Formats: sequence, C-alpha cells, structure tokens
Amino acid sequence: MQDWLKSKSILFSQIGVVLFALLLAVLDLGCWRIVNWFVALRGMGGQAVWGILAVLLLCSVFGWVLLWALWRLLGNLRQARVFTEENIALLQRVSLCCAAAALICVGGCFFYLPFLIAAAAAGFMALIVRIVRNVFQKALDMKNELDLMI
Amino acid sequence: MEIRINLDVMMAKRKIGSAELAERIGITPANLSILKNNKAKAVRFSTLEALCSVLDCQPGDILEYTREDN
Repeated sequence: MQDWLKSKSILFSQIGVVLFALLLAVLDLGCWRIVNWFVALRGMGGQAVWGILAVLLLCSVFGWVLLWALWRLLGNLRQARVFTEENIALLQRVSLCCAAAALICVGGCFFYLPFLIAAAAAGFMALIVRIVRNVFQKALDMKNELDLMI
Repeated sequence: MEIRINLDVMMAKRKIGSAELAERIGITPANLSILKNNKAKAVRFSTLEALCSVLDCQPGDILEYTREDN
C-alpha cells in the first residue's frame, strides 16, 4: 500500500494543481459577483469593491504563473529530472509569485484589513519555497561534484 | 596546489589509445577524457586500481602533486 502511494505521489500533486487551477478559474470568472456579494454582506463602501477586485485579479495573475511553474516542476519530477537548473528556476519563480501576492495583499489592507493575514501567509510561503530552492541548489552542486568523480 | 593525472605519458609508453583504455578499465570515453584533462574532482580507488592494472604502473606514475607558487 505504501509503495503504491509513493508511486502515485507526484500524480496526486498534479491533481492538486489541477484542482487549484479550477478553483482559480472559478474565482476569476465569478470575481465581480463574489466581490459585490461580499461587500454588500459586510456593508462596506463602494470603493472597497474596486480595491478588493484589483487585489484578487492581480493575485490571480501571479497565481496562474505559480500554478504553471508547479505543473512544469511536477512534469520534470515525473521524468526523473530532479536536481536541475530548470527546477531551481521554477522554484525561484514560485517563491517570487508568493512574495508578489504578499505585497499585493499588503496594499489591499487599505480596503480590507484581513488581507494582512493573507499577506503574512503568502510571505511565509515565499520564504519556505525559497529555502526549498536553496536546498535544490545545494543538491545540484553536490550532484555536479559527484558527476566529476570518476 | 593540485593533484594532476598524467595519463598521456603512460598511455604513450604502453601504446594504448583512449578508446581501448576506457573500455579495459570500464569507464566511458567521456569520463576518461575528464580524467586526462584534469577536470575530475575525485577518483575512486577502483578506477585507480584498474588504471594501474591495465597500464602496469604504480599510482605515483600517473598521479602528480604540484604546488602553485604565489
């Protein structure tokens, strides 16, 4: 059972990416309605609609870039291409997307204060992915050194 | 300071080419080229043993320590 789970691990991750992509697509398409409903529910001012909409759509752009990078990364892992320059670049891209989303959410605090929580979460995720990138870089350096051991 | 591998001299003495040497010691021609061009970071004892066996020499005949002057 464990071996089966291990062999399907990357597939499960890819399914996760697809699910998040679907979620993001629904958010993008229904953004206007969702934001208007939310603003009406909370009794917020009309200006908040545009502010929250801008934050969500800007974060969405980085979200798509991030999901594409994750998809490419998982594709490489499936083909046993693990410690490569391309994967390190993809991880860097994921980290930057998280950092960008964090900055956008900080800006969004002026319209809706709880965006600060999303900013903190995105910033923390950017840091975690950055550290994973550092690990991959170190592993690649070690692999290159090992490849030159005859 | 560096350790240099002087394979060319011993290969010429034993009249053995790169392709044949690579095949007899069990490494690829590309890896032998890395050894000959001193691009290798490390050499396994098993590889060194095979080299000495095929070239009929001592490790000191193919390994040289050089000190770079500042």
